[in-house]
Amino acid sequence: MVRLLSDWLTLTPKYEWVAYVAVGLFQAAILLALVMTAVAVATWAERKIAGRIQDRLGPTRVGGRFGWLQPVADGLKLLTKEDLIPASADSILFRLAPYLSFAPVFAVFLALPFSEGWVAHRLNTAAFFILAVLGLEVFGIILGGYASGSKWALLGAMREAAQVVSYEVPLAFSAMLPVVLAGTLDLVAIGEAQKGWFWNWFVFHDPFTFIAFWIYVTCAVAGTNRAPFDLAEAESELVAGFHTEYSGFRWSVFYMGEYAAMAAVSGLGVVLFLGGWNGPIPLADWLGLTPEAGAIAGFVGQLVGSINFVLKCIIGVVFMISLRWTLPRPRIDQVMSMCWKYCFPLVTIAFLGATLWTLFLPDGLLNWGHPKAATREASVVACFAEGQAP
Amino acid sequence: MAEEELQKTLMNSIPSINPEDISVGSESEVRTEELLINMGPQHPSTHGVLRVVLRTDGELVLEATPHIGYLHRCAEKIGEHVTPRQWIPYTDRMDYLAGMNMNLGWALTVEKLLGLQVSEKARHLRVLIVELGRIASHLVAAGTYGLDLGSFTPFVYCFREREKILNLFEAVCGARLTYSYITIGGLMADLPPGWLDQCEAFLDEFEPVVDDLHALLSVNHIFVKRTAGVGVLSPELAIAYGCTGPVLRGSGVDWDLRRDGDPFYTKMYQDYQFEVAVVRDGRYPQPSPAVPLEAVRGDCWHRFFVRMVEVVQSMRLVRQAIEKYRRADGDIGQPIKLNQKLPAGEVYLETECPKGQMGFMIVSLGDAIPWRVRARSSSFCNLSVLPELCRGCLVADVPAIVGSLDIVLGEVDR
Amino acid sequence: MMGFDAMAIFFWLFAVVACAGALIVVVSRNIVRAAVGLIVSLFGVALLFFLAGAEFLGAMQLMIYVGGTVVLLAFGVMLTARTLFLRMSTTADQWLVAILLALPLTVILIQAALSYSPFHGGQPSIERTAEKSSATSVRPITITELGMALLGFRENGQNSEAVTLFRGNQGYLLPFELISVHLLVVLIGAAYLARRGVPKTMASSDAASVSDLGPGSTD
Repeated sequence: MVRLLSDWLTLTPKYEWVAYVAVGLFQAAILLALVMTAVAVATWAERKIAGRIQDRLGPTRVGGRFGWLQPVADGLKLLTKEDLIPASADSILFRLAPYLSFAPVFAVFLALPFSEGWVAHRLNTAAFFILAVLGLEVFGIILGGYASGSKWALLGAMREAAQVVSYEVPLAFSAMLPVVLAGTLDLVAIGEAQKGWFWNWFVFHDPFTFIAFWIYVTCAVAGTNRAPFDLAEAESELVAGFHTEYSGFRWSVFYMGEYAAMAAVSGLGVVLFLGGWNGPIPLADWLGLTPEAGAIAGFVGQLVGSINFVLKCIIGVVFMISLRWTLPRPRIDQVMSMCWKYCFPLVTIAFLGATLWTLFLPDGLLNWGHPKAATREASVVACFAEGQAP
Repeated sequence: MAEEELQKTLMNSIPSINPEDISVGSESEVRTEELLINMGPQHPSTHGVLRVVLRTDGELVLEATPHIGYLHRCAEKIGEHVTPRQWIPYTDRMDYLAGMNMNLGWALTVEKLLGLQVSEKARHLRVLIVELGRIASHLVAAGTYGLDLGSFTPFVYCFREREKILNLFEAVCGARLTYSYITIGGLMADLPPGWLDQCEAFLDEFEPVVDDLHALLSVNHIFVKRTAGVGVLSPELAIAYGCTGPVLRGSGVDWDLRRDGDPFYTKMYQDYQFEVAVVRDGRYPQPSPAVPLEAVRGDCWHRFFVRMVEVVQSMRLVRQAIEKYRRADGDIGQPIKLNQKLPAGEVYLETECPKGQMGFMIVSLGDAIPWRVRARSSSFCNLSVLPELCRGCLVADVPAIVGSLDIVLGEVDR
Repeated sequence: MMGFDAMAIFFWLFAVVACAGALIVVVSRNIVRAAVGLIVSLFGVALLFFLAGAEFLGAMQLMIYVGGTVVLLAFGVMLTARTLFLRMSTTADQWLVAILLALPLTVILIQAALSYSPFHGGQPSIERTAEKSSATSVRPITITELGMALLGFRENGQNSEAVTLFRGNQGYLLPFELISVHLLVVLIGAAYLARRGVPKTMASSDAASVSDLGPGSTD
């Protein structure tokens, strides 16, 4: 794309950076629009689903019968609110914190593949990059709590940060499991390894990965501070949370960050465990919609794949929303003990089990398996025997 | 001068902890300070204008002191200036979530003083209304308890069902909260036509909702973890503090005024079959889910579960009352004259209200206006046990404990 | 040097970010602002890693330094801060000592950077390799290579593309495992040293639940 642009503008190699920047900004704008739309739809869905679970309707007035434009109304309301900064707050850090919380989540989408060819930047350490970047969200929380200048906000922020940081460990561990199964950190390759029917998906690969998937779900919900793990934001508890002092647009950035994080961990889970852009039935292959068949067919194939991906993400987000409105909240010490006493040992056992499974049953239980894994491991073993390159 | 002394007594009223009792290691280690946290009077989980001052050490509560009186409206003093019939609306506003039960308590007290006997039809209608009121009150208790612990949905379900009960009450007396329906001598008006069928329809719709609430709350693993073993109240302590109602029965004491109380009150429940909601040999009256293993007798879970069992028993009573009311003949009685002269004497009668035992006392010197009226509040005594329960618990447990006591500040402060 | 190619532009941008962050750390009087400056600086370094194509290293930098170290720093600062720390000012003699220590280091680093031949217009070694083995294209270092190097498969020099197995102790796996165990020992030791005394007034039934409190929930 950079080359296209620079040829069109007939830029000399000296000024190629202009093309780089332009293309980068363009891709970032697309992604930002995508994330914002996802967030807006997620807030609408939250209110509708909450209403339906609670035997009521949810928003029905703004934008017709279904309240489609409710997020727009909410956004406008938040934009026009008075910009309050507490007197005891550290004003520079106070202003910085919401963006520090949102930016890492947005960066996740840079490496998340929507389809085989549709990924903003194909990193060969994509899974690791996403996990690293998700961990940066914590600092926005801590800073938000500290900069508010109130001891309750700080207390809430510390609790939330402790929770997020603790749950990152089993999250990363369970995310490493598909990496082991696929043999690569590249999310595109992990998605490709799950091509075919739905039983090729990693979640069905072996019972240990199945367990790891549910641990991933738990840790993802806990890591994004969603109910039932939203103790630090709970209104009925004593401490009101790190975003107490935030109102208006700044609060909406935190809010957007939370929903974007939900979508991001959902997306990561879908790619790692649920087959990514591969549908339950390999329709695209049957219809011949592969890039080899031509540009249009390739494009349609990618489109179908990304629709699959988005649908699965939506299921994940809807699941998280339903979880919030169904379950009560555990106490903070129960949350921490659940992480360290249950999630973490379970995920280590699952990890051990799955790696042993791939060692002894490289082709899967009924030989549907993953030939790449088999040949790769065989080749590594052979290398050690012969002293040659793999 | 008097103000300073008042300030001093107020400050001294907060008990302090001997610092030597706490060992937090040497000075160089990380120490947390003792914090004085103020919960309320405006707070989402204190169920009214209650102020609880917590002295905490980090996450641990060392001392919890409730401060009440924000809703005191001098009801008892007013009772010395109005006739008993005029005082009925004041009873409504005590436990405003169960106004019918309050009305009944006061009406029975004055009827006992007057030696008045209401007709059978009125008796059955009273049982019907009062047990519906019990269901309505327990629905609020269950819903708001779930809300305190973060469970939003049962709150909406409970209030949806409560709405149906309030519609029934509105059809009966025109009011949804402050009824003044049960009066001295009977009730204010008879049931409108079709009301009994609507009531039976409500009961049929409500039965599966109880199972939903059990699934969402009583046996929900997270709910059990938040409430089991928390705020354990021993029976001896409960009796010593005068706790009554579900708080007492949650600690395993088999005591229900509808069965064990004043004969003037228990004969209202003559020929009615119901079981007292208390755990016997580890089981509650069936049908109800099994008691989870972590639940200790006298903890928050048991207090909550007693209310759920009472709801089922109240439904039984309502169905029986509907049958008996249909078969009874006569009228529902007439209220006494507005300025009826009261015989000299003193009567104290306690009734089993949803929150506990509500007692009314009337002392009359022979005039139409009593010389002294007194309301013994169940929530007041239940709340008094809060410092004992909160000592040594975590800060996040305080809303769980306060919610399990199910207090209403209108009743606490009167 | 002041080329207009994209690489240089971004390099200068990220380098300025990293240096600005470091400057904030040094100059700021508020310790939390210094911590934020540290984040910015380390983030700038991570960006430089990404620019150089070392994606794994960049992600590592983000995860370990920015994600881990600074969060730890923030926790420590906020949990133990007295008002003394919120407003720090460096006295003149501290400035003197700092400059005396930093100046030689700066001189050495600049000297080392300037003496690298590509800096003077020579070609980077990777291009020299491409010239020599003209039939091959330059392979970017991916994580596969790093993983294999951990196990002992490594390019035995920059001039050949043959990958040989270095037997014995040429792999990095053993040092990696040793460091992991070492870190575990350090973690356990620190947790043990930092434990609090348990208050006597606590009810025995709550003893188990309170000892479950994580580090972040004690104020």
